[in-house]
Amino acid sequence: MTLASYPFVVPNHLHAFLPAEIRSNKREAVKLLVQNRRTGNVHHDTFENLSSYLEKGDVLILNNSRTIPAVIFTTNHIEVRLARKRSSDIWDVLYLHQIEIGDTLTFTNDVKATVIDKCSKTPLISLRFSIAGNAFYNFLYTHGIPIHYEYLQDHWPLQAFQTVYSSVPGSIEMPSAGRALSWRMLADLQKKGVEIGFVYLHTGLSYFENDHWPDPIFQPEPFHVPTETVELIHLAKNRNSRIIAVGTTVVRALESAVDTQHILQPTTGETTLHIKPNSSLYVVDGLLTGFHEPEASHLDMLSAFIDQKNLLAAYEEAIRQGYLWHEFGDMNLLLPMEN
Amino acid sequence: MFDQIKQVIMITGATRGLGYTLAKHFAKQGANLAICARGKTEIKTVQNELEKYGAEVIALSADVSNPNDVERFVSVTENHFGRIDTLINNASIFGPGPLYLADYPDLVLKNVLEVNIMNPFLMTKRVLPGMLARHKGSIINLTSEVGKTGYAEWGAYSISKFAVEGMTQIWADELIDTGVRINLVDPGEMDTAMHEIAVPNCEYELANPSEVIDVFDYLASSESHLATGQRFEAQSFSRKGV
Repeated sequence: MTLASYPFVVPNHLHAFLPAEIRSNKREAVKLLVQNRRTGNVHHDTFENLSSYLEKGDVLILNNSRTIPAVIFTTNHIEVRLARKRSSDIWDVLYLHQIEIGDTLTFTNDVKATVIDKCSKTPLISLRFSIAGNAFYNFLYTHGIPIHYEYLQDHWPLQAFQTVYSSVPGSIEMPSAGRALSWRMLADLQKKGVEIGFVYLHTGLSYFENDHWPDPIFQPEPFHVPTETVELIHLAKNRNSRIIAVGTTVVRALESAVDTQHILQPTTGETTLHIKPNSSLYVVDGLLTGFHEPEASHLDMLSAFIDQKNLLAAYEEAIRQGYLWHEFGDMNLLLPMEN
Repeated sequence: MFDQIKQVIMITGATRGLGYTLAKHFAKQGANLAICARGKTEIKTVQNELEKYGAEVIALSADVSNPNDVERFVSVTENHFGRIDTLINNASIFGPGPLYLADYPDLVLKNVLEVNIMNPFLMTKRVLPGMLARHKGSIINLTSEVGKTGYAEWGAYSISKFAVEGMTQIWADELIDTGVRINLVDPGEMDTAMHEIAVPNCEYELANPSEVIDVFDYLASSESHLATGQRFEAQSFSRKGV
């Protein structure tokens, strides 16, 4: 399925292709566009000034999923892009060549993978590998590389695609909204009285190539909302403090973990939740995120936070002001504020 | 007392000397282990031995001064066990035997410094996020008498241990109030292959690695939850007054 596109174009010079710490020595050295959810008003700032928009008692929820090296090559040098783990030896993958069920792919060290299924809703195929569990991961980390989209130009190492706080390996692509956060910023925020909690949601592929973007309802992603994070959020809600998701992945995890009474519960599972302009948000009040492409379903989710006209006006201004897009780019904070 | 819940203990350089002794000790105590060393065959042999004690063991061949190997070792461990409770940065190299600094080959000095400084830095940096998210964890960096006093002919190894002591102090200061503790252990002179390189044909009495493990038990247990930024001398360690 090809999703509807939003009416803006990201100029080529706004595709961030260098990590901030390479551009200017610090991962937090990016710009911050702050938008008031209530009024649509926009402020331009630097990311290092994030704490001035947060108040004592606010809760930041981070996704501590860690990026895995999801690209491996066959002995014929054909790329296989992991998309989703099904079991210890079965993965859904993106393979952009003709292949049939029963065919076998061969990798280095005589690792093999047999095609056991082809997905009808996506271009993915299911592979059963000849190794499983720790042996598979050891193979993947030895021979795999992170996904590089063409705007990145250079091949950055896996470490460039990690947030400083990630410790649960499993994301196919970096949950990049928290990439600019440094340990120093997190420590300073906590000194100010901002609380930090964690969930994980392992991301799948964001792009199937050939102008084909995943539809969230056919993109199940594993997630976990632990008890201590639920307790942290309930306490914050009781004192009317704001819950700020660092990344659309965190919104997806938290809003997938509410029960039929819309109360957040500790949850482990997979989600296909698609948050759209009219979706209710039961947990999250604010969102720190990057700038998204016009075709990405992330913009549907952002429209649940803010009137679409205001969102598009802010994006147009971001383009005029030279904000950078993608995982190494600038940041966008959507927050309910008094003015 | 060793904590009852199965701990996950990660040890670098675990196929010989103190690292091997610690791995065997913690396996016997009922811990789960993640161990690495550069030699493929040796690490497999040690894994088989530890599993006989009932430990679940991740054992990988890895050079922990290489960030890709560190990522692989820690990620496979986190993926399997879900957490790391104690990290023991034990791996180090001595370099060539006794040498005057003025005779020390430049590239060899650079290599010893890189291996001995980068490996605890990379390992600690990679393991910390999980510990900080859980607000607990213990990191133990191995040092030496020559990490606080310079003696002739201890060369790059001694310089690197001075660096490890400084690194540990900085990290301890930055980790105050996080629940994660980081300490130094000087095991003293022991009868190991590395000591034979440092002091060939040593004529004085040396401790056996199995005689210095008490302090590691202490630092891996919740008993030491308030201890951070400290330097412990294993051979004179006593829990009285700790």
